[in-house]
Amino acid sequence: MNTRELEVSLAAGDPVRQDLLDQVDLMGLEAELLAELDGEQPAPLPLPARVPRRARRLALATGIAILAAVTAVALLAGSTSHRASRAYGAELVRFAESTPLLLLEGPGWRVEDLNQYKGREGTQGFMDFVTGKPVPDESVRVTTGGNGAIGEVRTLPAAVRQRQVELSWHTDDPDLSATVPHPVRLPVLDTTALVNTHAGRIIFTSNAGRQVVEPGKPGDRQMSATWTEDGYRLELRADVPDLAAFAERLSWLAKVDSETWLDAMPAKVVKAADHEEAVREMLRGIPLPGNFKPARIPDEGLATDRSQLAGQVTATVSCLWFRQWGEARRSGDRGAQLEAERAMASAPRWPAVRQMEGGLTETLLKLVKSMPSGVWQFGPHRYRLLPKAEGLGCARLGIPLLPRKIERQREHGVPLPPQ
Amino acid sequence: MGSGQIEKRAALGEELAKVRFGKLYREQARAILGYALRRTETREDASDVVAETFLVAWRRLDEVPLGRGERLWLYAVARRVTANIRRAEGRRTRLSERLAEMLPAELSVQPQSDGKASDVLRAMAGLGDEERELLLLVTWDELSPSEAAKVLGLTQIAARSRLHRARRRLRALLEEQESAGRRSPRPHTEEAR
Repeated sequence: MNTRELEVSLAAGDPVRQDLLDQVDLMGLEAELLAELDGEQPAPLPLPARVPRRARRLALATGIAILAAVTAVALLAGSTSHRASRAYGAELVRFAESTPLLLLEGPGWRVEDLNQYKGREGTQGFMDFVTGKPVPDESVRVTTGGNGAIGEVRTLPAAVRQRQVELSWHTDDPDLSATVPHPVRLPVLDTTALVNTHAGRIIFTSNAGRQVVEPGKPGDRQMSATWTEDGYRLELRADVPDLAAFAERLSWLAKVDSETWLDAMPAKVVKAADHEEAVREMLRGIPLPGNFKPARIPDEGLATDRSQLAGQVTATVSCLWFRQWGEARRSGDRGAQLEAERAMASAPRWPAVRQMEGGLTETLLKLVKSMPSGVWQFGPHRYRLLPKAEGLGCARLGIPLLPRKIERQREHGVPLPPQ
Repeated sequence: MGSGQIEKRAALGEELAKVRFGKLYREQARAILGYALRRTETREDASDVVAETFLVAWRRLDEVPLGRGERLWLYAVARRVTANIRRAEGRRTRLSERLAEMLPAELSVQPQSDGKASDVLRAMAGLGDEERELLLLVTWDELSPSEAAKVLGLTQIAARSRLHRARRRLRALLEEQESAGRRSPRPHTEEAR
């Protein structure tokens, strides 16, 4: 299950019925609330001088959050890695250049995984480097004590954890000093990193907000280094035996050109040059709404794996149809409503749907079946369909379905889908 | 400044507080009710959380930031209030009683999900409290990672990094769950309660 499917499934588990929540008459309770407060002293509120202008949030304006997990990269199917034979497409090169183009060039180390997310607050990315056998995701046993305290037990031995390094980056600009309380300074690339030698992990947060950090022990510390470079805020995090080992890992970081960087990527995805062709193929035979443009499909220039790309294609087309369907029902335009229902009824035969994996297909087909009634039946419960369809991630694609979400995006300056 | 003027200013300050507070309630109560319903087991508890959260906001109105930050501030208060409600008998107030009475029973159904969502929710129980809350703030309450960071009192970096790990860990838990399920299939799966 990829990130998108995970989020769709989690969103589907939201216990609150938003349509009923919207109907609760909370305004009628304002008098009760004020009566409740009688006798309670408010905090002294200073009389207004001049209200400072708050910086306008860019928020959604520059493009809606598309939490597209981007597992990059590579290549000509079946070819093995060697640089001379590589001719990377322009899109793939652009994708590479949207990252800091860093590699960990320690002997025997390689890139194990790469994820980049583009959201409303900029781009953030993560790369895992490993040496030796792949390091499995660490599962954590959660223990609950009698007093409600929660503890976590790490399951991977230190020797395994120390074969992995995580590099992360993002493009906004938080305050460096706020994140490293008592840093050690170490050189990295052409600059200096602030190193937290007891980065540890928070294992318990009390109700009062007190955080207990797993301190590690001699020979097994988690350390993190942060620095800024080329408009990125970077962090390298690793479990290491000591500071010298951490300094060594930092010294292995190297800035490379896009071709070298792409060569180092794990060969598990689609060649970017094929992205457009892959999208074209997935759209074949799909009835498209008049306002559909291929550019609506999130494309980081990366090549996602095919299932993920299929999910993006399907969600984009479906959200546009559901948007038309919702608006048609509100305005009583029966023709437009039926057109959307007919189009979506063909979804089981869409090439993109057939290439999707995981729970998204199941959810989509249930949505389609529910369109004529407009009701999502769940056990004995009946729900309005549109909020359920919103769970496809339509708002994130910039195609919100519910009037309140449309309004919210309009307020934040997100352009509406073209008519 | 004479004593009359001081009194006048104090009265004006209180009036201002009421206006600001009324606006805060009108604009944010629904979001806080949604937050509370998603994290408590009964409508009564959710109503207590709403009432208590706004009571705290009234007492500390001078600390409530303006703009978008006010909702995040209220979420942070609601989070602490919810934790206390879980531990102790909620303080029933007139507001919370009235609110609980008017909330329809079907407003919150637990779990409301198809099979896949139920699996994810079950796996969520294996996450740490903070990771789980991060995921829920981002997915159910539609906050950005840095907004969620403010609610939880984390730095933006820490929140993003933990969110990434939470997703990864959740996937690992789901896989473990699925392979355990394959080893000993459940005799009966109830789609909804």
